[in-house]
Amino acid sequence: MACAMFWIPARGVSGDMTDLLNIENLHLEFDTYDGVVKVLAGVDLQMRRGDVLGLVGETGCGKSMTALSVPRLIPMPPGRITAGRVSFKGEDILSKSESEMEAFRARHVGMIFQDPVTNLNPLFTIREQLVDAVLYQRAQGQKVPGRWRGFLPSVRQIRQEAHERAVELMRLTGIPDGDKRIFDYPHQFSGGMRQRVLIAMALAGDPDLLIADEPTTALDVTIQAQILRLIRSLVAQLGLTVLLITHNLGVVARSCERVAVMYSGRVIEESPVRELFNNPKHPYTRGLIAAVPQKDISRGGLEGIPGMIPNLINPPAGCRFHPRCGAVMDICRAAVPPTVAVGSEHTASCFLYPEDP
Amino acid sequence: MNIRFYILRRIALLIPTLIGLSILTFSIARIVPGDPVGLAAGPQATEEIKAALRRELGLDQPLPIQYINYMTGLFRGDWGESLYTRRSVIGDLRTFWPATLELTTAAVIIATVLGVPAGVISAMYRNRLPDHVARVLSLFFVSFPSFWLAMIFQTWFGLDLGWFPISKRLPVLVAPPPATTGLFLVDSLIQLDFETFLVSFRHLFIPALVLSFGAFASITRITRASMVEALEKDFVRMERAIGIPYRVIIFKYVLRNALIATITVISLNFGWLMAGAILIETIFDWPGLGLYAVKASLSLDFQPIMGIAILYGIVFSIVNILTDVVYGILDPRIRYG
Repeated sequence: MACAMFWIPARGVSGDMTDLLNIENLHLEFDTYDGVVKVLAGVDLQMRRGDVLGLVGETGCGKSMTALSVPRLIPMPPGRITAGRVSFKGEDILSKSESEMEAFRARHVGMIFQDPVTNLNPLFTIREQLVDAVLYQRAQGQKVPGRWRGFLPSVRQIRQEAHERAVELMRLTGIPDGDKRIFDYPHQFSGGMRQRVLIAMALAGDPDLLIADEPTTALDVTIQAQILRLIRSLVAQLGLTVLLITHNLGVVARSCERVAVMYSGRVIEESPVRELFNNPKHPYTRGLIAAVPQKDISRGGLEGIPGMIPNLINPPAGCRFHPRCGAVMDICRAAVPPTVAVGSEHTASCFLYPEDP
Repeated sequence: MNIRFYILRRIALLIPTLIGLSILTFSIARIVPGDPVGLAAGPQATEEIKAALRRELGLDQPLPIQYINYMTGLFRGDWGESLYTRRSVIGDLRTFWPATLELTTAAVIIATVLGVPAGVISAMYRNRLPDHVARVLSLFFVSFPSFWLAMIFQTWFGLDLGWFPISKRLPVLVAPPPATTGLFLVDSLIQLDFETFLVSFRHLFIPALVLSFGAFASITRITRASMVEALEKDFVRMERAIGIPYRVIIFKYVLRNALIATITVISLNFGWLMAGAILIETIFDWPGLGLYAVKASLSLDFQPIMGIAILYGIVFSIVNILTDVVYGILDPRIRYG
C-alpha cells in the first residue's frame, strides 16, 4: 500500500537524557594542489535536545565544515576525515552508507544556508520544492510516488496531504497568502521570503536538529532581525534544537543560549552566552569580544586581534593561536592545550588554566 | 506571462524573420556572379534567344518588381521552375524534402536519446570509468569523418552481417505508403501498415545512426558540461541536506537546469544535419534534397536555389520557435522576463 509508507515514527523519548549530537576529536583534511589543508584539528562539540548553540569564529576557522560534517555533505574526495567520531542519538554517522545517510538526513537534519537566492531551484515552483521536501522527508529514504502517477487516488491523496502540509509550513514560517503564493516561482519572492521558504523546507519532516549556516549574512539588516526572530519563535513553538553558525557575535547574543568559539579548526571555548560575554577566558575570545564595535567607538577606535588567520597547510605547532596571542608561554608552542573546565558549563582550551585535578 | 501568449508572440516574430530571409535570398540569387540565362540557353545561343529567355523568366524587369512577383508566386504555391529540367520547384521539393526531413529528424532523435543519458551518466560519474567511456566515445565519433563511418557501417551491417539494407528508402518492389506527410515511417503508421513501417525503418536506421554521431558527441559533451555546472549549484547541496534522494536531485532538479543548454545544441544540430546530410544521402543513395541542392547550386539554377533557401529558412525558424517554446517551458524566468 502506498499509504503505508507514510507512517510517522514515534519520537525516541529516551534520547533526551543523552547528547543529541556528539562530535569528538574530529579531524578533517582537504587535498589541494598546494598541499594538505588541515581544516579541522580535533573538534569537540556536544548538543542536547532543545539546545540553541551558536558556533562562532572567523572566516576559514572550520565552523561551516563542522556543520556540514553532521549531514556528511563534505565532498570526499578531496575531503578526508582522518580521526574522530560524529554520533547522532548514539548512532555513528561516519560509518553509514550513502543511502543510509539519505534516510538519515531526511529524518533527523534540516539545514539552511547563507544565500536564499541560490539555494532555491529557480526552475521549480515553491510548491514543487516544498511538496518534495515534505514527501521525501516523511518517506525517509523509501520510495515516493512521482507526480506522473497522480491519477491513482492513493497517490493523489498523499500529494494532497503533502500540499496541505506545505501550505501549513508556509504559514508557520510567516509567509503571507501561502495557499496562493505556493504556486509562484522563487524569483517572485523577496530574499527574506525565500529564506523563510528554505526554513519551511528544512522543517518539513520535523527534524531533530536544524543547522543554520550563516542564515542572515546575505540579508538586509532589517530582514536579518526578522529571520532571527522567526528562528527564535520556532524554537519556542516546536522545541527545535538549533546549531547556528555565524561570525556575528551580535546574532549569537540575541539568539542563542550557548556559544562555542572556534579558532583554526578547534573549538577553543564554550559556555552559556551571558557567561561568555561577561567572563571570556580564552585570549582569542577576549580579542573577539573586544573587536565588536561599541557605541563609544568614536573615542576608543576599533580594537583588533594582531596577526592573520593561520595558514592551514602548515599550521603553527602547538596551540594554533600562539603567534597572535598576547599571553603566549613556551608550552603553547610545543603542545596543543587540552580542554578544561573554567566555570560551570564553561570550558576553554588554553594553558592559562590549570587542568582539572 | 501566460505560456500561450508567450508562444503566440514567438510565432508573430516569424513574419518579419521570413520577410528578411526572402529579401536576403532573393538578393543573393541575383548578385552571384555568372549568368544563369547564358548557362541555360547554352553556348551557341544568340543574344536574341537569351533576351527572349530573360523576358520569359521575367528577368528583364526591375528588381523590386521581380521580388514582388516572386513573393506573390510563393504565396500562391508557385515557387518557379528549374531552368534546366523545367520542372516546378515546389514539386521537386515535395518529392525530395520529406526524405531529408525524415533522415535528419531520425538522426536528431537518435542523438538526443543516446546523448542526453550519456551526458548525465558522464556527469554523475565524473572522472570515473563511465565518464571516460562516454568521453572517449564522443571524441571518437566527432573525430572520424561521417562518410568514412558510413561506408564502414554499410560494409559491416549491410554486406557482411546482412542485417540492414545498404541503400534507398525502400526496396524497389515495395510501394511507398500513400503520401500524407512524405515521411514513410509516419505515413505507414497512419495506414497501420506495419510491414512497410518495419522495412522503411530498417532502411532508415543505419544512415540516421551514422548521421547522428556528430550530434551525439556534441549533445553528450554539452549535457555533461552543463550537468557538472548545475551540480555545483547551491540548491543541490541544500536539497541533499534536507534529505531529497540524489537520484531525484539529478533527474528532476539538476537535469532541467542542464537541459536548457542541451536544447540549444540540439536545435543547432538539427540545422547542421540538414545541411550536412548530403554526404550520407549520396553514400546511401538516399533520395533527399542534398543532391538536388548541389546540382542546382553548381548550375546556378536560381529558382531551386531560392526555393531551397526559403524552405530551410522556414524550417530553421520553426525549429527556433520550438526551441524558444521549450526554453519557456523549462525556465519560467524566460517566460516571465
